[in-house]
Amino acid sequence: MITFAKFFKVSLTAFAGLALSVPAAEAPKHIDVKQLSKKVEDVVVPLPNEVFGALNKLGGVNWREYVRNDKGSNFTERPRIALLLGTVIADGFIAVQAEDAPTVKEIGQRVLGLAKGIGVGNSITPHAKAITEAADKRNWENVRRELDRTQNSVQSAMNEVHDEKLSQLVSLGGWLRGTQVLTTVVNKRYSDEGAELLHQPDLLGYFQTRLAAMPEFNMKLLQDIQAALVEVRPLIDVADGRIPAPAVKRINEITARLDEAIITKSQ
Amino acid sequence: MLFPHRLLNRASFVAALAFLLVSPARASVDDAQSFALQAAEPYVKQGFQIREDYWGGDLGAGEKKAVRQQLFKGNEYWFWMGSEIEKATVSVHIYDSEGKLVEQPDSWQKGHFAAAHVTPTGTGSYFVIVTIEQSPEDRTHWALVYGFR
Repeated sequence: MITFAKFFKVSLTAFAGLALSVPAAEAPKHIDVKQLSKKVEDVVVPLPNEVFGALNKLGGVNWREYVRNDKGSNFTERPRIALLLGTVIADGFIAVQAEDAPTVKEIGQRVLGLAKGIGVGNSITPHAKAITEAADKRNWENVRRELDRTQNSVQSAMNEVHDEKLSQLVSLGGWLRGTQVLTTVVNKRYSDEGAELLHQPDLLGYFQTRLAAMPEFNMKLLQDIQAALVEVRPLIDVADGRIPAPAVKRINEITARLDEAIITKSQ
Repeated sequence: MLFPHRLLNRASFVAALAFLLVSPARASVDDAQSFALQAAEPYVKQGFQIREDYWGGDLGAGEKKAVRQQLFKGNEYWFWMGSEIEKATVSVHIYDSEGKLVEQPDSWQKGHFAAAHVTPTGTGSYFVIVTIEQSPEDRTHWALVYGFR
């Protein structure tokens, strides 16, 4: 893959022409979406900081409350490591929101350790180093970018060794942790706008489909997550996007329980 | 054909052989991605964070593809499309879940580059429609990246 950094090194050419760009050609003002596929197979899962950024705009969030620097358990089962890896990367984004440099650096090392545990450590060693350097300089934009690159590199490396399902579990772990924190924040100070950020039914459907295609990972934790997503779906799949406070509370309870299960060894 | 780039490398031994055969296609999608990133470059200075992940594929002239993307109200998004076929003309447009065009008027297209700008009025799924409007090739590789702030 051509990374953005690599691209920047080589792309000082040929852009001037774009300054002459023109408004987009007239597009239909309306299309019949029923003719489009209902399946969400080709999805780019949003990063946790996409939703955190939107949440931040609704009012000051004390992100330090949500920073987690517990090193957590070590696992040998690769699906569990993948889920935990996604969760820890999400924790990295939370630590960046909190501008907590020591935790960011610890998380960078934790991610490296987990990636090694799953056999893709080499792909992210440079990113872990870059995270540490950017955190030392308190360059939070660079830390965010490196966290994105870290996740991307880990998942690309997994795919190269035909571990696409593990790659999807990384995304799922990140989504669950992000949703847990989102619901905790909104639960504390409910607003319609905050709750609306949970309106992600297609994304949830994507994860359900992917989990259903992983029968070989016969693990109680994955079965619990599948069951939990079935329960969450009607709570967020509301036509007008208005998700009431009791639903937010329930989703928070569910995702908190799953998060605990992901990071501890009892499962 | 449509795939998030991570789906490009899949399958087992048989596919390893296949991979050798399709690797030129992979290279072309990567080339298309480099053009999409080229379109995105000026927006980084405006505070947009460009995702590492992207969509890509190939289409015939006049063909469209729809990809769905979760967008969050409160954020602002740009989607940038590029192709390595310099004589191609591409376009990208964004619709909400009801099929209503929602992009901002500063969305633009120029030859084998195009971009669409959206500030979602609601959180949910949106349709990003990519089109190869014209191309001298039977199949034209394209890539779509996005950024937010």
